[in-house]
Amino acid sequence: MASTGDRLKTLIADNLEVDGQAIAVPENLDISLLEAGVSSVDLVAFAKLVARDFNVKFTLEHCTTLNSVKEVADFIDSQPG
Amino acid sequence: MPASVADCWWRPFRNVGTAAVVYVDMAPDAAREAVALTWLDQEEQSRRQRFRFDGARRRFALCRAALRAILCGQLGCPNQQLAFGASHHGKPYALVNGQPAPIGFNVSHGSVHGLIAFAAEGRLGVDVEERSPARDLDGLIGSVMGPEERAELASARGNHRLHLFYHLWTVKEALMKALGTGLTPDVSGFEIPLAMRRGKKTGIFRFPHIPTVRWWLEDLGNEHFAAAIAHELSPDSH
Ligand SMILES: CC(C)(COP(=O)(O)OP(=O)(O)OC[C@H]1O[C@@H](n2cnc3c(N)ncnc32)[C@H](O)[C@@H]1OP(=O)(O)O)[C@@H](O)C(=O)NCCC(=O)NCCS
Repeated sequence: MASTGDRLKTLIADNLEVDGQAIAVPENLDISLLEAGVSSVDLVAFAKLVARDFNVKFTLEHCTTLNSVKEVADFIDSQPG
Repeated sequence: MPASVADCWWRPFRNVGTAAVVYVDMAPDAAREAVALTWLDQEEQSRRQRFRFDGARRRFALCRAALRAILCGQLGCPNQQLAFGASHHGKPYALVNGQPAPIGFNVSHGSVHGLIAFAAEGRLGVDVEERSPARDLDGLIGSVMGPEERAELASARGNHRLHLFYHLWTVKEALMKALGTGLTPDVSGFEIPLAMRRGKKTGIFRFPHIPTVRWWLEDLGNEHFAAAIAHELSPDSH
């Protein structure tokens, strides 16, 4: 089974872009989607995908308060499931 | 400073009550970007560097430089004395010589269209979005709209549905940006006034959890983008 980080990377590669360019997530996942330039409306859609794919409660609030993809991965891993 | 008004990449857009809204043209333009960079302080230069895409760098530099130039003009201070603080949730405010400036503002950038709203009093929020049909509208509607908004969107078709979605979304985001708390509370937990959902350009809104505060809402959209402003009304205004 792929790690949470790898699954998030795939989800980002398949669903998010900025000005038509894919977002390269570094190996250590230390990247903030807001700082990468992803707009809030795309973050809403992304939060929904994360909730569905990982079967966790994950809202836009999580997306804007977790400061990096690494923090998102840690959050998902900390959820009972 | 751009050599002349003709070189400016921003211009007055609309007056909304006591607020003034400025349009910022963020189309790629290397000469403008080079001028904009000279306005940014060290911290802003580093922040710009941290953006991974040219477009995000350009948008930040052009909007922040326009914001600086306008604030310096209005406050009568040199650029070096102007700095920005940020609230707990990241909403920026202006400081002159370390003291809060007597003017509020809010910035929004789409991909090439930016808006900045200014007002001496009352919290302000502005949002601009280009209406991209590529997004998963059904999924977005399910996440961010309340039950009556969803019902209205369900009966709208094609282009009208796209326009209605972005209209409602920009009003909601302008409200959240005026509050300054990021996108919390959950934006599906409140609904845009019925008359505005049905096409009226302005409205007055109260959040269910803070009913004593009234917000003036205005649709600023045009054929190029959806946009809206939310401005806190003073308790004695009618
Ligand atoms: C505010 C927010 C909803 C805007 O998202 P967006 O639609 O992608 O971006 P927009 O172009 O409309 O607005 C961006 C501008 O809003 C302003 N802004 C940032 N945070 C804000 C907030 N909490 N409230 C109001 N405005 C805010 C900034 O001026 C920013 O532009 P700048 O950084 O170039 O100056 C989103 O950035 C957000 O949720 N931020 C909160 C994140 C947070 O809580 N971070 C933790 C502390 S840093």
